[in-house]
Amino acid sequence: MASAPMFSHAIGLPARLALYGLASLALMVVDSRYDAMTAFRTGSVTLIHPVQAALARPFEYLGEAGEFFTVHGVLLKEKRQLEAERERLATLLQGYNDVQGENARLREMLKLTPLPAVEPMAARITRVLPDPFARKLVIDRGSADGVEAGRPVVDVAGLIGQVTEVYTNSSIITLLTSKDQAAPVQDQRNGLRLIVSGVGSDNLLEVRYLDMHADLKPGDLLTTSGIDGTYPPGIQVAQVLSVEQPRQTPFARAICQPIGHIGQHRYVLILKAKKNAP
Amino acid sequence: MPLSTEKPLVPQGPQLIAPAARRLVYGSLLLGYLCTLLPWPQGMLWLVPDFALVVLLYWVIHAPHLAGLGLAMALGLVTDATLGGLMGQHALSYTITVFLVIHLRRRLENFEVSGRALHLAPIFLGQQALFLILGLVFRLPDADWRYLVAGLSAVLCWIPLARLFDRLTGWTNEMHIEPAAK
Repeated sequence: MASAPMFSHAIGLPARLALYGLASLALMVVDSRYDAMTAFRTGSVTLIHPVQAALARPFEYLGEAGEFFTVHGVLLKEKRQLEAERERLATLLQGYNDVQGENARLREMLKLTPLPAVEPMAARITRVLPDPFARKLVIDRGSADGVEAGRPVVDVAGLIGQVTEVYTNSSIITLLTSKDQAAPVQDQRNGLRLIVSGVGSDNLLEVRYLDMHADLKPGDLLTTSGIDGTYPPGIQVAQVLSVEQPRQTPFARAICQPIGHIGQHRYVLILKAKKNAP
Repeated sequence: MPLSTEKPLVPQGPQLIAPAARRLVYGSLLLGYLCTLLPWPQGMLWLVPDFALVVLLYWVIHAPHLAGLGLAMALGLVTDATLGGLMGQHALSYTITVFLVIHLRRRLENFEVSGRALHLAPIFLGQQALFLILGLVFRLPDADWRYLVAGLSAVLCWIPLARLFDRLTGWTNEMHIEPAAK
């Protein structure tokens, strides 16, 4: 029997729209509910990040060409400042080594588990993702360099975020200031434990659901408490700007300023787990 | 009755446009896509237009035999795979946008570039809004509504690009637009 189609009509425009629409919706559901797209994303990003790096290179050269013509005097002044800063840090570091040794001995005496050792790895920011939903940066280190998802990312001043996606030669950092990102912190003045979270602005963080009688004052320094196992303790995170007394809610709210220079750097440090750590 | 030689039945000379070359269409789409990948400064990311979409909409109007829903879907998926967001988020907003523009093609025939841009303005803006709303529907943490401005800057960017492509393809307003896509 001949199997000629009864209606050999091309599929109509609205039908195709419906088809593509359903396919996209299905993809979005799968992507938001499951990790099914990770392999695909890894492949596409591994292909595209070198292209992006190549596109960015001419602009970097332009920027460097501008720096090339810096006045000699400015450079000299900067050099002296850096030298002074280095000496100051070296002095501080001597004390730090002593304290660290003492701390390790004390922990041993108290039979506490030693703190996980971390080592910093420098990474260059290659790109800022134009993502209206979260604040993300692309860096030039990936799983080939031993980066793992979840590692904290800091700059010279303080915590700036966390590695969220890792590819072969690049990874994506989600900034702490991104809405719904959070870090467990401790007030340095009195050890009060809190959680700071991003509000979606580059220079603000907040402490939500704060007890209205909590002893938190403007100027307090918040450092990571190390309780969640993600962030090692002692990284500076934010400084309290103001504490808003509750109006119609049972909780107060504190506005803080991030210590890390978020949105201003070209290089960041990823804190890797040390190889010989227990 | 003899045929008048004053007005030929088939458009002649410069009026007989060579339909837009495949190479031009796909090449310009690729360039548009690469433009979105450029390292735009962080502070102005929200007003960088979606160049690939701008180029795509031009070809949907002027070369519908090459650029239709399928191409919109493919471009959307490529964009999704390389920028943030969910898979399918750009794809869905692109296909709906292109569907609307295909329906508007006949009407756009009667307008100059700026008139066409005015028609496209709500579509570009709607695309951006749809993209943001889709993110919220699927519970992405936060939608930055400043990104709506990218829709408007896309319109501003469409005007010079359309002029340029008109010149490249030899398009003038007297010419008829090709028959609609199947």
